[in-house]
Amino acid sequence: MQVMVLTEEEGLELLAYLVTAARTQLDEAAEYGPLRLLTAAQRLGTFMAPRSSQATRALIEDSIQPMPETATRSADPDGYVAALDAVCRGLAEHLVGVFDVDRGDP
Amino acid sequence: MSDDALELIRTRRVVRAMTSEPVPRDQLEQILEAATHAPNAGNRRLQRFIVVDRASTLRVLRMLSPGMLQHPAAAIIICSDVVKAVEYGFAPSSGGLYVDVGTAGQTMLLAAHALRLGSGPVTSFSKAAVGAALNLPRSLRPEMIICLGHPDRNEPPPMTRRRRRSWQDVTYWGRFEPDQGQAGHAARPADGSESFRSSP
Repeated sequence: MQVMVLTEEEGLELLAYLVTAARTQLDEAAEYGPLRLLTAAQRLGTFMAPRSSQATRALIEDSIQPMPETATRSADPDGYVAALDAVCRGLAEHLVGVFDVDRGDP
Repeated sequence: MSDDALELIRTRRVVRAMTSEPVPRDQLEQILEAATHAPNAGNRRLQRFIVVDRASTLRVLRMLSPGMLQHPAAAIIICSDVVKAVEYGFAPSSGGLYVDVGTAGQTMLLAAHALRLGSGPVTSFSKAAVGAALNLPRSLRPEMIICLGHPDRNEPPPMTRRRRRSWQDVTYWGRFEPDQGQAGHAARPADGSESFRSSP
């Protein structure tokens, strides 16, 4: 597996986003919490994708990036939860493959 | 108000996808000039504007602004002069200051729309971080960022897909009536009289 290191600028961009989002979350609607985390995940995915395996790139491009940046829970509570659960399931299935989880411990 | 102005109000949208095409300086100046006509409490003019159109500064601004989904070609940061506000007897957190930020911001958004530019307000940013990045004195508190640029086609969907509320949904005519319920119940009679009625 390729060792992936963000460039300093990429890392700083994500770092700044996460720290300032922690502060803005104190003043904004609680439902923006998941939205901010997903935006951070998408930005990380944008940095990772060009240096990732084909399978991970597919996960990022087909599952993580298409999530709407502006979706919030209140607009469609059940649909929002279901959509996030679907992304989480897809992510878990990808992790199972990457980390050889089905092989079991020796 | 002319029909043109009403049409601008109706058709303005928050633009969250912008191209990298620069915003000409003269258009930025027109937007700033428009903002000076916004209603302002006591005509005290406690807002100050910082214009950013340099790519590297915009990049940093975006890093410090989680609510900034777009990559604007320019941005105007609306600040409140809290020291002057206190001198006038306002509390630094007085709601009146925020109202003035809002009227200036909305005027800028409409001016940008009139100039065929895309625009969007952002308030989710670290005021401390943006103040430091822009070298703002402590007397100037950044309140709102107006993102400006040319609209891109890849616009994300709106924040919510709720039905747009009509004015009847949110208006009670003359006096709040809790039993009036939802849409249209407080609509004013078509003949303009002041009596109340409930829509069917």
